[in-house]
Amino acid sequence: MEYGKEQKTTGSEFSNAITSRLGGETLTRCYQCGTCVSSCPVARLTDEFNPREIIKLSLLEESARVLSSDSIWLCCSCYSCQERCPQKVEIADVIYAIRNIAFEKGYIPNIYSEFASAILDDGRIVNISKFMEQKRSTIGLPPLTPTGVDALRKILSATGFDKLQKEVEEA
Amino acid sequence: MDEVKVGVFLSDCGKQLSEILDFDTLIDYVKKIAGVSFIVRSSEFWRGKGLQSIVDAVRDGKINRVVVAESLVKLSDVKIVEAVEKAGINPYLVEVINLEEHCGWPHRNTPSEATEKAKAMLFAAVERAKLLEPIEKLEFPVLKSTLVIGGGIAGMQVAEDLADLGFKVHLVERAPFLGGLAARAGRFFPTDDCAICIQSPASDVKTITHTSRKCVYRSGLSEIPNLEILTNSKIIGVEGVPGNYKVTIEKKPRYVNEMKCVLCDKCTAVCPVEVPDEYNAKLNTRKAIYMNIPNVYPPAYVIDENICKFHDCAKCVEVCPTNAIELNQETEQLKLDVGAIIVSTGFEEFDASVIKEYHYGDYPDVITNLELARMIDGFGPTAGKIVKPSNGKPAKKIVMIQCVGSRDRRWNPYCSSICCMISLKHAMLMKSAHPDADIAICYIDIRTTGREHEYYYEQAREMGIKFVKGRPTEISRDPETNRLIVDVEDALLKKILELEADMVVLAPAMIPAEGTKELAEILGIELCEDGFFKEYNAKLRPTETKLRGIYLCGGATFPKDAPTSSLHAHSAAVKAAKFLTTGKIIKDQRTAVVNEDYCGDCEFCPVTCPYGAISLEEISEGHFVAKVSDILCEGCGICVGTCPLNAIELRHSRPDQMRAQMRGLMSVNGTSKPLVLAICCSECGHAAVDSSGMAMMQYPANVRIMKVPCTGILQVHQFFEAFKTGAEGVMIVGCKSDGCHYEVGVQKAEKKVELTRMLLKEYGIAPERLEMFNMVFIEGNKFVEAAQTMTERLEKLGPLQLMSVS
Repeated sequence: MEYGKEQKTTGSEFSNAITSRLGGETLTRCYQCGTCVSSCPVARLTDEFNPREIIKLSLLEESARVLSSDSIWLCCSCYSCQERCPQKVEIADVIYAIRNIAFEKGYIPNIYSEFASAILDDGRIVNISKFMEQKRSTIGLPPLTPTGVDALRKILSATGFDKLQKEVEEA
Repeated sequence: MDEVKVGVFLSDCGKQLSEILDFDTLIDYVKKIAGVSFIVRSSEFWRGKGLQSIVDAVRDGKINRVVVAESLVKLSDVKIVEAVEKAGINPYLVEVINLEEHCGWPHRNTPSEATEKAKAMLFAAVERAKLLEPIEKLEFPVLKSTLVIGGGIAGMQVAEDLADLGFKVHLVERAPFLGGLAARAGRFFPTDDCAICIQSPASDVKTITHTSRKCVYRSGLSEIPNLEILTNSKIIGVEGVPGNYKVTIEKKPRYVNEMKCVLCDKCTAVCPVEVPDEYNAKLNTRKAIYMNIPNVYPPAYVIDENICKFHDCAKCVEVCPTNAIELNQETEQLKLDVGAIIVSTGFEEFDASVIKEYHYGDYPDVITNLELARMIDGFGPTAGKIVKPSNGKPAKKIVMIQCVGSRDRRWNPYCSSICCMISLKHAMLMKSAHPDADIAICYIDIRTTGREHEYYYEQAREMGIKFVKGRPTEISRDPETNRLIVDVEDALLKKILELEADMVVLAPAMIPAEGTKELAEILGIELCEDGFFKEYNAKLRPTETKLRGIYLCGGATFPKDAPTSSLHAHSAAVKAAKFLTTGKIIKDQRTAVVNEDYCGDCEFCPVTCPYGAISLEEISEGHFVAKVSDILCEGCGICVGTCPLNAIELRHSRPDQMRAQMRGLMSVNGTSKPLVLAICCSECGHAAVDSSGMAMMQYPANVRIMKVPCTGILQVHQFFEAFKTGAEGVMIVGCKSDGCHYEVGVQKAEKKVELTRMLLKEYGIAPERLEMFNMVFIEGNKFVEAAQTMTERLEKLGPLQLMSVS
């Protein structure tokens, strides 16, 4: 994510959209100390992901830039940043809130979209191969029970997830 | 007192008011009020002929109650009350109202309505005046002596000031030596001189004659007459009231006679017990008999009783040439009587070891600013050399980390305010001693807000000190080389840096000194959210507490640099001196009084009183009644509003007086609009009404103003009473929720309004007929808006239908 010429620093529509969502409430506490970045295992590997910058751009109302970037999807949810943030910004949760907004607006990387389909299909993100099943028994783990995919579908339908996913797939 | 004779004095404010109000009608009206025996109209009554007419009427015995309708009541009523008192009647038999700002100006566009409102105001004032009774003033003695708690930079200066002004001062320090945190700091910003100066500050009186007024170490604190210094001592109990406190002090033995010790060092040389020296951040060791640095007060060694072997060893006793060592000394309890207490307990460094990722206390080469200060100090453990504590070798690469546990919601959310300057000072001192040193400061924001402070930042950059904008996440250590690595994102480069370091210096938060909470409990004063002592008002009373006679200064209220601590100390000295100097407190008794017949064994009022003025007293076996301290009570009436049995009242705002006032204000309407009673607290609420009048803002004349000491005095039944006397709507106007002049009154009122609204609903009355408003003096417009809104709302609701009680 780079700052553009058309920076929009007025209004508070986008930051309000984040703070009014579950997990996004603490966004405005951030004072840009960067503890999150130096705590982040992903940020160490790639400049593409910088949680401090995601928050800064959100506070500057750069919604299009934030929502359309791959960056928000790179968080691995290890919560190290959140543990160490001196302002108790719930950074990983803020990013989840932003992802939710992005998803609603139709921004989602293909891989995530595929995950979503997989979940709706059989309740798992990753298909379990026969090889994996055998491996489980050799190390003393019980066989996997079928997922309660029906119940899951009901929940996802109640949240409107299935509809959104359909829209994304069609688009 | 025999027959009540009320005199009514009507000011037309230089005939300005008579352009709006019909004074002839008013005078005719007042004449007819029972009990009024004397009426005068004049231009003004707070000075000159007008004031004389009041005085004459009182002297001649024509009247024994005084009602004055004046303007700018806040300023004029004092003069009137004083004059009346001199003329020979009790000053609390005077009722002053404000026809100008509360009636004439705000209703100038509806003069006939204003005249009708004026009638109601005058009737209310007369009715209240008839019920007024004399109230006495009490005198309480104030001892001309003070206790100063804490012998750091602030405590020493306030002690010196007060002693020089002639008051007896007891300066009590918990540690064996004076100086506090400041003395350990090595050097000070922004003067760049040594911290040791403050360790024995000069009496100005002495220094003018024979030493420099800046270097204070050569003159002697101990030479100041009236000043008694108690080290190794702490406060264990405080009883009594402002002006007359009884203090119990526990003085631990020093085991060395201060009068005999000659500081020859023979005792420390032979002492076999050696421990890490906590004064020097454990960077060196000290003996069981020791002193912190060579230049201390009192100038005598002390024995650490936790480690000394006493009579099993006693080598020091054998070598002492002056027989100064007294191993049989015991802990003493001292009792002091003082008039005032000054708290100057200061602050200390936050324990950074709780922030696990920085490994303070775990990696020896991670140190704090205070530890670094001891290294930089020539008297310190390394004699000024900057070395790695792990091996004593020079530290060349140094990383400093700001905001360690401060501006951190997990530990201390506030900015400690002095650490940026401390780190800049330290970085520069290190860099000038070792120009080849490589120093980086990791910061979130650099805050250099004092005079000359920004030049420190500028100079540091010129000297080549590096600044990294970012708060490190972790300090790790290479197990092979023992070198430290600081992980930090430089936000400006948008890059994660791994800074190598020989030594890392943390700038920990500054937190209240140990024992602050306990001392607050002993003194009965409050702490703020951050744990420091809370001043009475940060803007205007920064050294006072809610208890008269107890003062604060220095770091006790928040971390401060040396110049600010000095300012605060001298300021506290003036406040304390003002209190002590007359030798007495004269306190009028417009305070609370308990009717013991009704009072019964509950604990509501002692718990609610913000001043701790109410205690429970056993009057017969198992039967407790509330007892109000005449000196502590501030007359807010919050206890009155709290008492479930109506067993407590204010002498100057009794229920019958308030009822009479309410009835009076509602007795005449004269407008086509529904009557509104606005009950205002005497502080911000009433002031906001005054300011709307001064600015001649217009609101309808159906809105009537009633003043109470604090909205906290109001009881639920009084809201109903207001409706019963004719109000169709009731406004409660108080200070801001967090700005009550009596701490909690407005919050209590808010709750009662809420409760009453629920009850109103229950009775089928629209709850919005009652509303609480919070405003300050400058918000006259807010009052006007509220008055208009309420009036319009009531017009929409239609007439109030009260259930008729047969």
